[in-house]
Amino acid sequence: MIDHDVLVIGGGLSGLRAALEAKFSGADVAIISKVYPIRSHSGAAQGGINASLGSDDSWKAHALDTVKGSDYLADQDTVEILCREAPERVIEMENWGTNFSRKDDGTIAQRPFGGAGFPRTCYAGDRTGHNLLHTLYEQVLKNKIKVYSEWLVTKLLVENGKCAGSVALNTANSEMDAFRAKATILATGGYGRIYQRSTNAIINRGSGIALAYMAGVPLQDMEFVQFHPTTLWDTNILITEGARGEGGYLYNKDHERFMANYAADAMELAPRDIVARAIQTEIDERRGFPGGYVQLDITHLGKEKINKRLPGIRQISIDFAGIDPVQEPIPVQPGQHYSMGGVSSNKDGETPLPGLYAVGECACISVHGANRLGGNSLLDTVVFGKRAGGAAAEYVKTVENQADEILIDALKNEQQRIEEMMGEGGENFAELRDELRAIMQEYVGVFRNREKLEHAVEAIRELKERGKELRVKNNSSVFNFELMNAIELKGMLELGHVIALGALVREESRGAHYRTDFPERDDENWLKHTLACFKPKGPELDYREVTIDRFQPERRAY
Amino acid sequence: MVTLKIKRQDGDRTWFDHFEVEEKTGMTVLEALFHVQERQDGSLCFRYSCRGAVCGSCAMLINKVPRLACRTQVANVKDEADDEPKDGVAAVKQSEKDEDKNEILIEPLPNQKVIRDLIVDMDHFYSLVDSVRPWIDSQDREPEKVTLMEPSTQEQLERYTNCILCATCHGACPAAARDGNYLGPAALAKAWRFYLDPRSRDKDRDELLELLDSESGVWGCDVVYKCVAVCPKKVTPTPAILELRKKME
Repeated sequence: MIDHDVLVIGGGLSGLRAALEAKFSGADVAIISKVYPIRSHSGAAQGGINASLGSDDSWKAHALDTVKGSDYLADQDTVEILCREAPERVIEMENWGTNFSRKDDGTIAQRPFGGAGFPRTCYAGDRTGHNLLHTLYEQVLKNKIKVYSEWLVTKLLVENGKCAGSVALNTANSEMDAFRAKATILATGGYGRIYQRSTNAIINRGSGIALAYMAGVPLQDMEFVQFHPTTLWDTNILITEGARGEGGYLYNKDHERFMANYAADAMELAPRDIVARAIQTEIDERRGFPGGYVQLDITHLGKEKINKRLPGIRQISIDFAGIDPVQEPIPVQPGQHYSMGGVSSNKDGETPLPGLYAVGECACISVHGANRLGGNSLLDTVVFGKRAGGAAAEYVKTVENQADEILIDALKNEQQRIEEMMGEGGENFAELRDELRAIMQEYVGVFRNREKLEHAVEAIRELKERGKELRVKNNSSVFNFELMNAIELKGMLELGHVIALGALVREESRGAHYRTDFPERDDENWLKHTLACFKPKGPELDYREVTIDRFQPERRAY
Repeated sequence: MVTLKIKRQDGDRTWFDHFEVEEKTGMTVLEALFHVQERQDGSLCFRYSCRGAVCGSCAMLINKVPRLACRTQVANVKDEADDEPKDGVAAVKQSEKDEDKNEILIEPLPNQKVIRDLIVDMDHFYSLVDSVRPWIDSQDREPEKVTLMEPSTQEQLERYTNCILCATCHGACPAAARDGNYLGPAALAKAWRFYLDPRSRDKDRDELLELLDSESGVWGCDVVYKCVAVCPKKVTPTPAILELRKKME
């Protein structure tokens, strides 16, 4: 058995920031991650991190943009914290060594992003996530925080109404161990890979969200799935919103800047949900290019500016599409990008289960509501990562450890569950996974309706039944990826079910959730958060009021 | 069809396996490896994460050149043996591949202990990087203020902050091959990045130079630029090493 006061699951930005704060607050903290922390998906974030640093900007303006962008589903008290604490967190990252791009006067440069009334997005070229991730990892090294790399957590332990720790599998040798922790912080990122087309890393399978769900913790607003408007055609590698922020144009096959028909004022800098629907409409109505894409043109920015502000985008286009955006437009299509929903948690990352915290993309602290603005997710990780780490360190002073036997029993049960997944015959993970991803893409995508969603719910139910017969044929104990995939697929099926069912029941259109059969936002009936609880028969849905204080809901226009 | 000739290792046993994969336009070596792992042999193991050349997980030796499997197109490497050396790095010799073209030779990254198949033990590499104390010590700073930095300094730093620690440079380095204690290109590039950084303290800079002034530090480099040639992020460790040497002279 392994013992720590605080165990952080996940080594991306929010996990590293949480661990640092817990350490600063005096707790014995460790990080457990299924990859090395610097391989986390945070490193793929390109565009930037929002903070109202400008003298003519303010946290209130940032908060209004965020709330409006969220289609009024964000809780305004948590949005206030996000925007108020933003400058402090960004300046802290700068002091720790992040290589932010600079203005001529030496201060941090900021670029415009969609849905924002001010160029508020601080950036490090188009490799902002990479720079932030390495900076935090460097600080974790400096502060000598213990990291268990390449361990997959398979279960959270709940005892006497508290989270008592977890069971994890060491992927290097398939041995399992119990981790006793007075507080556990989930920071495991999103579930993008349950969709066929996703900008996410291959490892983003929502495993932490599924852990909390199976432990009885409610998931919130899972039907709100962000589709990024501009992902590279076919491979769906992210093409940052910064490309539009720097002045890129979107064209259909008739060389028409079609955004004029969807958001005449904001044009390409409308929020992501609006641009994604615009592009998908162009493609669906046969104004896209053969193969299903439109063009993102940045050629007019010139080689020098592209090399300076968007060097990563240039390289990605050359490596993965054989196109140099200095000379040719980039072929783009919408793809799954971000999970607005996640484990229900509050301003300090506390979930309804004492001892369990959730931060970053795996959490729903409800700052993004129905649609996240670009530049707010990196901000979310450091603001709430810090808060959760501090809160967890305080909490552990008030609780006792659980007895050894409880953890040893849980470990044995979990070993047995995994053992039963091994064997010949049965279902294969890759087949079930591919079917799930196809269903999500086709029926729970940018445009939804009752018929599609009913089909999805039914099809996922069937996949879950087949999932019970999942068998792992490879019996190697050293890096058994088939086993890891099978374990994570079980969670992916659960999350797919929650998303599809939540989307089916929510009969309105709000932010990223767009129902062709209910195209209007319906505040009277649906200005509320969805909560989904695990039940053996399928998710049980409940609803909770949205916190509205400063900004009354208005119609969104851009 | 393309054939992947993959070096396997399990405990003390090493061997080569051949897998036929149906080639698709734009297919990367990583995708081809997934095809093998998911449809032909579930026991094949290799690391992966982002598939977009930003995380650094999937570094391996492809036709004798260290590279990221995710950004290497099958079409570009399947008949590479006949090509001229690329970027100054000699590719596989014909004799080391089977006669048949359309074959890609895949091996684990050199200069590291192999755990199994294409997975190497990265701990030694990371410990070398960590030994240069790669971080800013912000103890004496005013954390509420932004450090002002010239855009040109930022750009100079950027060349080195782009490093993803994939270890392809380490796999290509002849000095690392002969001396396990040699800090290697990634660690030395990282050291230069922190030396350059205006946020570093003078005290830390002095200590860093002292630490690197040895045969396992900057003087171990052969100055053959192999690390520069293979870097997927265009980081340039050799010039960094030469700059560090100058500071010591």
